Amino acid sequence: MKSTLRLAFAGVLAAILPHSLSAQELVVSSFGGAWTDNHRELVIAPFEKEYGVTVRLVTGYSADIMAQLQAQKDNPQMDVVHFSGGQEAVAAAEGLLAPITEAEVPNLAKLYPIAKEGIAKGEGPAFSAAAIGILYNSDEIDTPPTSWKDLWDEAYEGNVLLTDISNSYGLLGMLMINKVYGGSLDDIQPGLDKIAELLDDGDEVVRSSTEVRQLFAQGDVLIGPYANDHAYRLKADGAPIVFVTPEEGAAASFLTVNLVKGRPEANKDLALKFIDYSLRPEVMAGWAEAARYSPMSPDSKLPEDVAADVVYGEEQISKLVAFDAAKIGQEKSAWIDAWNKLLAQ
Amino acid sequence: MVAGTPTLAKAIAAALVAVTIVYMLAPLLVVIGASFSTSSYLVFPPEGFSLKWYQKVLDTPSYLRAGWLSLRIAVLVTLITVTIGTAAAIALTRFRFPGREPLQALFLSPLILPAIIFGIGMLVLFSRYADGPSLMALVAGHVVITLPYVVRTVSAVLVGMDKATEEAARVMGANRWQRYWYVVLPQALPGIGAGAFFAFNISFDDAVVAIFLRGPDTETLPILIYTQIEFSSDPSVAAVSTLMILITVGMIVAVERFLGLKLLTDRRAAGRG
Amino acid sequence: MRRDGPIGGASEPALLLTPGLFFLIVLFFLPVGLLVAESFVTVTEEGERTLSLAHYVRFFADDYYLGVMWRTFRLSLIITLVTLVLGYPIAYIMARGAAWVALWLGILVIMPLMVSVVIRTFGWMVLMGRGGLLVDVAQWLGIGGRRFQLMRTEAGIVIALGQVLLPFMTLTLYGVIAGVDRRLEEASRTMGAGFFATLWRVTVPLSLPGIVSGSLLVFALSISSFITPALVGGVRLPMLASSIYQQALTTMDWPFAAAQAMILLVAVLLVIVPYTMLAKTRHA
Repeated sequence: MKSTLRLAFAGVLAAILPHSLSAQELVVSSFGGAWTDNHRELVIAPFEKEYGVTVRLVTGYSADIMAQLQAQKDNPQMDVVHFSGGQEAVAAAEGLLAPITEAEVPNLAKLYPIAKEGIAKGEGPAFSAAAIGILYNSDEIDTPPTSWKDLWDEAYEGNVLLTDISNSYGLLGMLMINKVYGGSLDDIQPGLDKIAELLDDGDEVVRSSTEVRQLFAQGDVLIGPYANDHAYRLKADGAPIVFVTPEEGAAASFLTVNLVKGRPEANKDLALKFIDYSLRPEVMAGWAEAARYSPMSPDSKLPEDVAADVVYGEEQISKLVAFDAAKIGQEKSAWIDAWNKLLAQ
Repeated sequence: MVAGTPTLAKAIAAALVAVTIVYMLAPLLVVIGASFSTSSYLVFPPEGFSLKWYQKVLDTPSYLRAGWLSLRIAVLVTLITVTIGTAAAIALTRFRFPGREPLQALFLSPLILPAIIFGIGMLVLFSRYADGPSLMALVAGHVVITLPYVVRTVSAVLVGMDKATEEAARVMGANRWQRYWYVVLPQALPGIGAGAFFAFNISFDDAVVAIFLRGPDTETLPILIYTQIEFSSDPSVAAVSTLMILITVGMIVAVERFLGLKLLTDRRAAGRG
Repeated sequence: MRRDGPIGGASEPALLLTPGLFFLIVLFFLPVGLLVAESFVTVTEEGERTLSLAHYVRFFADDYYLGVMWRTFRLSLIITLVTLVLGYPIAYIMARGAAWVALWLGILVIMPLMVSVVIRTFGWMVLMGRGGLLVDVAQWLGIGGRRFQLMRTEAGIVIALGQVLLPFMTLTLYGVIAGVDRRLEEASRTMGAGFFATLWRVTVPLSLPGIVSGSLLVFALSISSFITPALVGGVRLPMLASSIYQQALTTMDWPFAAAQAMILLVAVLLVIVPYTMLAKTRHA
């Protein structure tokens, strides 16, 4: 019985062990789900074909990937990581990322300045951005909101949806509200005070994108701060949800592609080529088409119907509000503490 | 039922079964209904009828790949956990030795600690002292989080058994292996079955430990679902769940048909111990 | 090796325990210990690492965290009771009913486990949100006003988590009740005890190990669950596991997360150990 068992074990082990390693391969993080489907189509498959290499994926949210990166500081397993919640600022400050230059990544030169502000600090560039503005139900609301302050309109009492600030889109929404009401990154009290008024009205707070979409789609809520890419997903699925950029501006949430420090030299060249590939204008335009993210280069040309859904063009991009991710990284813990206590009341 | 069960007891039993059926099935009906709905969101009652979400699942290779990977991991984890967990449970219930009670409590601890702490701890351990996360790390992690279930369920069954049969077998000259094989294991079978089921299920449904411990290119089904819902709310995950339900019921019925479903219906193993 | 030894020989339990202890010590306590060790370290402003209880003080000095812990224990206890009351009769019927009843009840109990917890919780969210079927029923019964919903309420957490954990209670109880010698029940009936008296005086005491085991399992699982309370309870009714997740992933404060996990573990053991001992004396 024992030997049969052992044989069975060996068989099962062999069946699940990873496939053989090919000569040149790159380990890259991706956000999973439909995002990774697009990622494969737009970047990974064509890149593999062009350079004759294999790309292996680690899927997970930015926070999960950041946790892996941090734990593997001395022995990193990934070559290129993508972030969407400003983690690159923290990762660079902790020495987890390798700086890149325009000489190594030629496509950097063509990006909007807003997309490469972190390069000097050792962060990777942004290839896309989502805009955080206001989503509303156009069946129920006749006059489109124009300002962040419209969230306090009595007509919407009890029907506003807020997002927890542990979600990076929620955090940026809170920071915009704070900014509009006179606060700054050094003082978020004005924002918290205004949000307390909404909480008193019985408005809801949720944590994840999927809850945001579900509540909007069910018609449980009518208006709330969130991002244009999710407004597009709602619209594509037939929900009457429209995104507006308020007059005070929309916040930018960047999708960045970063080089991990401490990987073998041979992988570095390939990793830089991967980053450069991600910054090709047609690739960034592809992201706009697939998920309505703003391309970060003026060379990315969008068809009209796509352009209507995204913040597009030099002028509009320059109006995006980009909060200091490094400062946010430092303050986040204290903000979340204050926020949790506000919600628990 | 036991002869002479009073009508009142039967009525209460029927009512309880009805309540439990409704309670257990309510969220599943929403999921199953949504999987056949035309709506792109989970709604109840479902709107319209369509098989497009099933079409989508079958057309998405990542679902099949992830499902197959999760299945293989869960089977391997179950085999390992049941073996070492049953052994530990026998030791903890059939023998008296110093430190037995604290050990019993110790074997529960992976249950109580939120999995994320264990996941990050394992990630740190494997990053520091091995080549980082890998499939084997993931399997080991799943064995740890499923071990308490097997130890608990098997112990619970063995504690209630008298040792007379085992004693008799010994007196009649059965050796150690014969005793385990013919007496102890059959007695423990309901516990082993329940434990194996939990172990399989926990491993098959775990995203938390997996997100930290798997290596590249190992996307399990729960990780896929966990990341999928960020970008899409469509009922294709409901369709996957419905397929899982169908497969489970099919498997149980098939096992019952062909093997007589020892675990659930044959009480000779346990009842006359 | 001796061909046979007396039951209770010292080498035999050691041999049986070794693989389990290996996993428990090397692959559980060691990795968790690596994190927990950090929870006793504070980094000063000069970047020096000093031994301190600052993370623990932060927890116990703050009403917010104490409130979260109190909610976690209170709701877990209620959920354990709910699953015991619902699960025992079902397990009994499975163990004593006809074979086909046992089979289909077994399928019924097992089936929900095959659906990811996330997806099942989504099902509850649809039923318990504004305009959900369950809310309509409640309003029809006269509970709650116009804006009533079960989402983001403690009752909602109990309902949803109870459903998630009921299979664990039922299957654990089933294993034990099935093992209770039927002749004892029959003897009790023959001697004139009624059905319910027999159930209460014979079956329940004999299945006490299952009740202890099942309630420990459900209590422990409920204390450490994250997905269902986080989705149903929402951000305004946090439980301890959500707080730990937030510290671990959002603020990346692993030492504080580990400190909270330690507090949770110790608190649970403080509940479990006396409970087990009490149950043992009752059983004996």
